[in-house]
Amino acid sequence: MSNEGNEATDPETGPETGGQADLLGEMRVLRQRARTARHAYWFPLVLFGLLIGASAPFYLQLYLSPGRATGAAGPGPQLPVLGGAFSGSAVQHYLGYYWLVALLGGLLLTLLWYRRNARRVGLQTPARGYVITVAVLTALALVVPLLSQARSPNWLHHLQVLWPGDLVVRGTFPFVIIAAGLWALAWAERSRALVAIAAVYSAAALLASLYNVENLLFRLGWNPGPGDWDLTSLPNVLLPALVLLAAGAGAFAVQRRQRAAA
Amino acid sequence: MTEQHPTSGIDERVHQRHRLGILTITAEAQRAEFGYLRDALGLTAGNLSKHLTVLEEAGMIQVEKGYAGRRPRTWVRITRPGRAALAAELAALTELLRRHATIGHTGPEEGRGSA
Repeated sequence: MSNEGNEATDPETGPETGGQADLLGEMRVLRQRARTARHAYWFPLVLFGLLIGASAPFYLQLYLSPGRATGAAGPGPQLPVLGGAFSGSAVQHYLGYYWLVALLGGLLLTLLWYRRNARRVGLQTPARGYVITVAVLTALALVVPLLSQARSPNWLHHLQVLWPGDLVVRGTFPFVIIAAGLWALAWAERSRALVAIAAVYSAAALLASLYNVENLLFRLGWNPGPGDWDLTSLPNVLLPALVLLAAGAGAFAVQRRQRAAA
Repeated sequence: MTEQHPTSGIDERVHQRHRLGILTITAEAQRAEFGYLRDALGLTAGNLSKHLTVLEEAGMIQVEKGYAGRRPRTWVRITRPGRAALAAELAALTELLRRHATIGHTGPEEGRGSA
């Protein structure tokens, strides 16, 4: 663009057709450059991928060890929506607390990351929708089970329908909260690539929440013996983690190349 | 009822290359920093300030001054009227282009007759 502060073509006389097309073209370029410059979503992808991966020890199914009944050992989890229905080991008992800290910590780190990126690039991404989505879903996951246990008023009991058992039983509902956050982030980033990533990750998160992923591996030839049964819940955790880590690594490479080219 | 000419939707405060650029960039982000706008639009700081003043007085942007550490920073945020003005300007330009294209296809005589 030129450095002149002169006015554009007079609307009274009507601008040249080429001028209008050029002007619209320039605005498209400015918009695209701004959009590309503020893209910084590789960080939350990698961060939540790592947080999911780090949660793997909590999911080890020690309660499947010989001589112990499934889901019968120990008291129930304190945060059933975040921590799942089973509490087979002392470690697993704290899964809900892990996710409470991880979700809120991840949210805070993501916000700090976007603020840093805004200072560096000069464009701030509107992250309010993302914050509200993750914070509200996490708060509901904490509050609704408590409210639904209240004896009165009666209608509170029906709040349980908000949390279908199939979706929370494996303790993977935090994956779904992360997926909802990614959709909000894709909207804020105006990124088709992030929409595609959110779609693939959502599918992985729902699969991990509704199905035993080890069955797929069994068909591929993985047949764990009794000594490895405690590992059979890990595919449900590692699949969404790998999706996020791979997408985050790819996004990092692309965003770095785009910055270098700008 | 007669159809309005697209130029009636053009706001002279917005119908200027750099001010349109400012609105386009700020509409893409929650807020844009003065330095980014200056570099992206290829303007001097003084020139950019003049355009920002016009848009701020029209209520189309908000200018926020602050610090990043010890360095002063100026951030620009588009307002709702600013977004509406940008949308109207882009729609008017697109419509003008469409009309030109229609006239180009049908020829000036037919284009005039069908208007």
